[in-house]
Amino acid sequence: MERVRQGELAGLAALFERHHRPLFQYFNHLCGNPDLSRDLVQEVFFRMLKYKDSFQAGGSFPAWMYQIARHTHVDTMRKRRFEVIPGGADSPFPEPASREESADDRLSRRQQTELLRRALNRLPPEKREVLVLSRFQNLRYEQIAEILDCEVGTVKVRVFRAVRALGEIYSELARQRAC
Amino acid sequence: MSKGIVMNCEQAQQHFVDAWTGSLASDEAAALNTHLDSCGSCREEFDRAQLYWNALGALPAPEPGPDLRTAFYGRLSRIEHGAGGERTGWRWLRHPAFQAAAAVLLLAAGLGLGRYTGSREDERLADLRKEVNDMRQLVALSLLQQQSAAERLQGVSWAYRVEQSNSEVLTALLHTLNADPNVNVRLAAVDALRNFSVAPEARAGLVNALPRQNSPLVQIAILDQLVDLRDRSSVPSVALLMHEPGVSPEVRERAEWAVKRLQ
Repeated sequence: MERVRQGELAGLAALFERHHRPLFQYFNHLCGNPDLSRDLVQEVFFRMLKYKDSFQAGGSFPAWMYQIARHTHVDTMRKRRFEVIPGGADSPFPEPASREESADDRLSRRQQTELLRRALNRLPPEKREVLVLSRFQNLRYEQIAEILDCEVGTVKVRVFRAVRALGEIYSELARQRAC
Repeated sequence: MSKGIVMNCEQAQQHFVDAWTGSLASDEAAALNTHLDSCGSCREEFDRAQLYWNALGALPAPEPGPDLRTAFYGRLSRIEHGAGGERTGWRWLRHPAFQAAAAVLLLAAGLGLGRYTGSREDERLADLRKEVNDMRQLVALSLLQQQSAAERLQGVSWAYRVEQSNSEVLTALLHTLNADPNVNVRLAAVDALRNFSVAPEARAGLVNALPRQNSPLVQIAILDQLVDLRDRSSVPSVALLMHEPGVSPEVRERAEWAVKRLQ
């Protein structure tokens, strides 16, 4: 990041190579749309360039990056609030195949995965976000607390409540499917 | 034992995730277990939520695909060249008449100021060139290591954009030529190595790669390249290849042709 602060574009390319995958996954879990997620990832890196002076030397780079990512997501969703964004609950998702599984097991696992993804997409945004940050981004609680601007203890409770809410939505969806 | 720590339900819930991830200190873990043993509803919440936590971890991770990288570096390149491509309200700047007038003005100003600031500009330009080259090298090297053959092919094409003296990219291309499982990527690497042909290592690398190849297509491409480069030092190695057992008749015939041309 120091190189980017000094105006070196090669530094931005290095940051991109290191962080674009987790950022893509962050956005894709939030909005469920791979095309939009790719646009958002790009936007984050160019905002880093634009706001490079706001990064404080010695600060947590991931926390700073995800703060930019959050703002990028919020700004984009605000601009596109009248658009119908494809994806979300019904978006297709590649799944790893296992040779030992029978066809029935595979179908059952696929259905469970799909239900879980739909439940995740139905979580209120703030719950989904804390869950994505804690479960998929390998961030420490201190970093999540910095990103969300709250206490570490609050993050822990929010994560648990988000998991609990996810379970409730999942159970509801499973009941609907069984009817 | 919990060494005196006693948790209520809310405090216990704060530690659930740490317990699932195995990051609880031993005294906290003991206190949590004590609480869970005595509180049926917390135990039930803990076990149920843990199932979902674990299930989330098993969700497949989506991949961004090569388009993102292409788009990012395209936009970065536009910024590098000063175009930015970000503004939409300044279209008159793109009008040919304006651009021609601006070019004349800039040329005049440049001629006037050039003699005073020439050396400083040269330094800046050199820095900029180095930066661009570093970035291209990074992209090429990074793409050459990707799992997807399409991305490695892109990496080979980026290798054309780095300076011929770039030894890291040359080494990566030679490694690709010798180790890449995909024939198309290896063929592209042979072509890209032509860009580095002033370097003796590149020519030596081509010669050394000849007997290692299991694809006649790649061997023929290397032979053609050696002939194009008029690399006479490669004749003994090419002649050896002609007599190697297991070499395909097409390759043997091409090697004979190459030896004749080079002699």
